[in-house]
Amino acid sequence: MSTTFNKQRRTAGWILATPLLLILAGLLIWPVYLGIKTSLTHDVLSEFSTYGVGLGNFKNLIRQPNFWLSLRFTFIYALVATTLEVILGFALALLFDRVFPGKRVLFSLMLVPIMIAPSLMAVMFRLILNENIGIIPGFLQKIGLHFAIFDQHNIFTSLIILDILEFTAFTFLLSYSALQNMQEEVYEAAAIDGANKKQVLLQVTLPILRPAIAIIFLLRILDSIRTFDSVFILTGGGPGTTTQTVGIYIFKTAFIYGDFGLAASAAIVLVLILAPFMPFIIKQFNLNQNGRR
Amino acid sequence: MRRKYGVTLAASVWVFIFLIPLLGAIYTSLRTDNAISSGPFVWQFDSTFSHFKNAMGAAGYDFASFFKNSIIISTGTVLLTIFISFPASYSIVRLGFGGPWLLRLALALRITPAIFFVIPFYKLFTAYNLIDKPIVLILADSFINMTLAILVFSGAINEMPLEIEEAAAVDGASVWMTLRKIVFPLLGPGMAAVAVLTFLFSWSDYLFAVVLTSSEATPVTVGAANFVTSYGIRWGDISAAVCLSVLPPLVFATAAQKYLVKGLSSGAVKG
Repeated sequence: MSTTFNKQRRTAGWILATPLLLILAGLLIWPVYLGIKTSLTHDVLSEFSTYGVGLGNFKNLIRQPNFWLSLRFTFIYALVATTLEVILGFALALLFDRVFPGKRVLFSLMLVPIMIAPSLMAVMFRLILNENIGIIPGFLQKIGLHFAIFDQHNIFTSLIILDILEFTAFTFLLSYSALQNMQEEVYEAAAIDGANKKQVLLQVTLPILRPAIAIIFLLRILDSIRTFDSVFILTGGGPGTTTQTVGIYIFKTAFIYGDFGLAASAAIVLVLILAPFMPFIIKQFNLNQNGRR
Repeated sequence: MRRKYGVTLAASVWVFIFLIPLLGAIYTSLRTDNAISSGPFVWQFDSTFSHFKNAMGAAGYDFASFFKNSIIISTGTVLLTIFISFPASYSIVRLGFGGPWLLRLALALRITPAIFFVIPFYKLFTAYNLIDKPIVLILADSFINMTLAILVFSGAINEMPLEIEEAAAVDGASVWMTLRKIVFPLLGPGMAAVAVLTFLFSWSDYLFAVVLTSSEATPVTVGAANFVTSYGIRWGDISAAVCLSVLPPLVFATAAQKYLVKGLSSGAVKG
């Protein structure tokens, strides 16, 4: 094609990308610079002057037991919740992967938790779990079960159950989409070979869907590591610091204790921990794009 | 046929379990204050819907303004996100802008935790005296959601047959004409997916809202959570407020369920 045409396309490319470039400059490059700068600064709200401390905040951070505890809690929480959600989500997707009366309505209702903000869900949890007026404690009492939901020993289990109620809809939906993409011929071939239902599931469906399940697991766990809203509203990280996610640690360090330098360094450490996953996600997305076309 | 009803029953039980929080909130919002304080299983319903009236302003809470803020912030975020992502995606996919790097950057940003940006955003917007204005949350939410939007849009543009655009170019149509007359109309489903996901996620934002607003621009998520701490005993009113808060995204996303499913399952990470 002619050079004027190519020039026109290049100019158009720049013009079309301008809003994005402006946002990237203002809300990515500038803030990342500010974040790194803050992490290298002694920046405490109650003190008027700020000054550079080099890597002082990072050195201070690795000596904070609460930071390590929050990392440990976050990863255990994310791992347990994600594993259970992926298994349950896939099992429910298998249940829905057939024709049955009322499927459309029930499928829509299954997706409702996705549409509810985690923070609003947390408020609802506080409501149904309240020991005086909540239906759950009331119900447990009625059937004679004593389970102190917010007790130090039970709080982890309680939070995991709540996470499952909130996010299984997501793993369910992705698993269901993956099942829909299965080729009908594969099942037909298995039927001709005389495979029973269990064999089809274990030897046909699961092996074929293993990459899809792996990516659902990865997406969900990366999301889970960022948990903030629901745990913050339900427990505030307590009792003590037993349920403090990294997100809550960073938030509290900055906005409750006023140490912006320390909080910024913790945020950078968190990003560095997640960074090795980035190439994997990028590769996965490219596979998806090329595989489908 | 009996077996099939067994599936219906099993699915219904699970749906019920997942909806217990929402059903609990609806149940409480419809009961009288007296019944609520006498225990969870006292059946006495409030025929005047007073909790809903209270939540919407009759009892002097700021909830109605939180609701208005959420509508402004979410609608603004949808518009700004589309304005940024749609042209940029076309530029990246069809005009080769930025090579593969901008898409890779978008993917890398998808898994960068929002908490990373909280402190810099707070510093930035404080410096420009923008804290507690809806525009701040529109900017922050658009930044967080635009990566997902770019992924959905570039997927949708990739799926469009290139031949139509080539034919238009051969006929002498400029990039602008092609974009307006061909690409934009064909991109309806992608647009719907971006709109519904962005609306949902910006409505759900709590982290940025709690840091970047104090009272004037507070959305329902922060408002409802504060409600619990400040009016802890007015459970009926809180329930009504929460039920109203989940309604707009619920209605929108249910109406656009097809696009929600498509958007979420196109391999993109949830915010």
